[in-house]
Amino acid sequence: MEQSGTSTRLQAAVQDLASGVVSALRGGDHAHVVPPAGTDGEAGDLALAAVRVLGADALLPGLLSRTPPDPAELAVFRKAVEAYPPRADAAPTVRWSHWAMARTLRRADPSSAEPPDEPDTAWLDDATWQFVTHQLAVLAPLALPGEDCAVSRLAAGRPVDVARGFVRAVRRRDWRQAAGAGRWLTLLPGVPDSVGLEAGLDFVELMGGQDPLVALQVQAARRMRTGARV
Amino acid sequence: MTAPADAHRTAGTLRTAAGDALAWADSRRADFALGEDALAADGEVDRSWKPLGELAQVCATVTRLTGPADPLHARARGLLDFAWQETREGELFLRLQRLEPFATYPLEVYAALASAGLRHPAFEQAAAVVARTRGWRLTEQDPTRRLGVLRAEERCGIHRFGQAPPELPQTWLGGLPEPWTFGRDAGYALTHVVFHLSDWGRDASALPPDLVAYLGDWLPPWLDTCLEAGLWDLGGELLAVAAIVARTTGEDIPGSDWGRLLEARGPSGEVPLDDRDLDDIAAGPGSDGDRYFLHHYHSTLMAAFAAVLAGARPAERPGAGRRPGGQGAPA
Repeated sequence: MEQSGTSTRLQAAVQDLASGVVSALRGGDHAHVVPPAGTDGEAGDLALAAVRVLGADALLPGLLSRTPPDPAELAVFRKAVEAYPPRADAAPTVRWSHWAMARTLRRADPSSAEPPDEPDTAWLDDATWQFVTHQLAVLAPLALPGEDCAVSRLAAGRPVDVARGFVRAVRRRDWRQAAGAGRWLTLLPGVPDSVGLEAGLDFVELMGGQDPLVALQVQAARRMRTGARV
Repeated sequence: MTAPADAHRTAGTLRTAAGDALAWADSRRADFALGEDALAADGEVDRSWKPLGELAQVCATVTRLTGPADPLHARARGLLDFAWQETREGELFLRLQRLEPFATYPLEVYAALASAGLRHPAFEQAAAVVARTRGWRLTEQDPTRRLGVLRAEERCGIHRFGQAPPELPQTWLGGLPEPWTFGRDAGYALTHVVFHLSDWGRDASALPPDLVAYLGDWLPPWLDTCLEAGLWDLGGELLAVAAIVARTTGEDIPGSDWGRLLEARGPSGEVPLDDRDLDDIAAGPGSDGDRYFLHHYHSTLMAAFAAVLAGARPAERPGAGRRPGGQGAPA
């Protein structure tokens, strides 16, 4: 039960963090959402783990609004990047998620270390549209305007497949996957107009937006549709 | 892309499935037969004329898409002859019309038989008289049904004057809606729009190119989610639509979707309507045979229809409408 309790608290911390990001993306009071460093003990560990779970999106508001990062916030983010390196047997999405954080850290603070080499995308080479969409939704923090990495190039080659995955996710009421796929679709060339993305994002928000992890992706997609650049 | 060997194996599997499904239908002739209440004022059309008309509709397409020496052709032809005999070679349509002159279903069922060359000139003349009235033409129907009635009229030599029918844009599919708004009712409406426009798969080239492109894009997630939900009947109809679209685009058979449908079959190749527990709805094989029939006949006919369409492709315009690039990896 100890494990389960920790897991629940971590989920709550991730939700809180995501809510802060959503608020900042909506143009809320401030663009800084990562909790301050210096909190010791379990609370500090939990905050750090929550940043790792949310990934690069923890710094998304500042990145999109081109607001210089708060040094304390940056310190926590850096600590999360360093504290949770991917294990040798980590899933590709975990390796990519970590890579995305390292890349974001470097963008926010050019004095940071170079991000490690990009992982590959071999695990998606012959993947079905269902699996590709699922994995891309997990890697939604990589869906950024102007992002050029192997995952974004792969996504750019499969716009119809991701759109199909979006439809499937909505049909299955998997709002997190739908929101993540919708964020990718805002960036991909060649998405069929008939998908009705704008109404689709509104619908996903209507149905699933009480979940901050859904709202975050929808809000990120909207910001990018209006031309925000990183 | 499906490897040639896989495609060959799939085609063989589908042929067998179509044969089994039609054999099951053949074994249930007594259930398709018109009962004594077929001409009763309060008769249940959904349990008499509708199943017989659907049997005829599917068999008319099967005979068109298979050669005379093909056992599938012979089976379908035999079932068409059976259906025609049930209507006493069309005579019952005349009697039905006298009972309900402004009902459209007699003409719709008749048109299915007429499309296989089974015709009754006196009924067609009588139908034309009724169809000339404003009342007939103003019959209130949803746009998809109206499209079907218009097609049935054409089949029987009844032509409305004026412009091309405006019904298509008023249908769900004709409006090219956001594909994530798809649901069960929209699904049945869209499959029937495709069936009507393509003359039940016999003329796939009649589908407008924008519909072909739209369906090519969105059938995969609709199929995937319907089959996942155990909606075998709608899944079968969508597989038929996919096969009709593929006849114009040359795309591969969605092998994994077919695999899921075929796994749902009963012991004799019959396909259930959905995945509700048959015992719960008292439709198990050992219970009331009528319930079992009603829970299986339509989905089994649709599976046979879809399998024959899939096996007969490609037909016209191979390559047209196919999406460029490396998309559409195995579904």
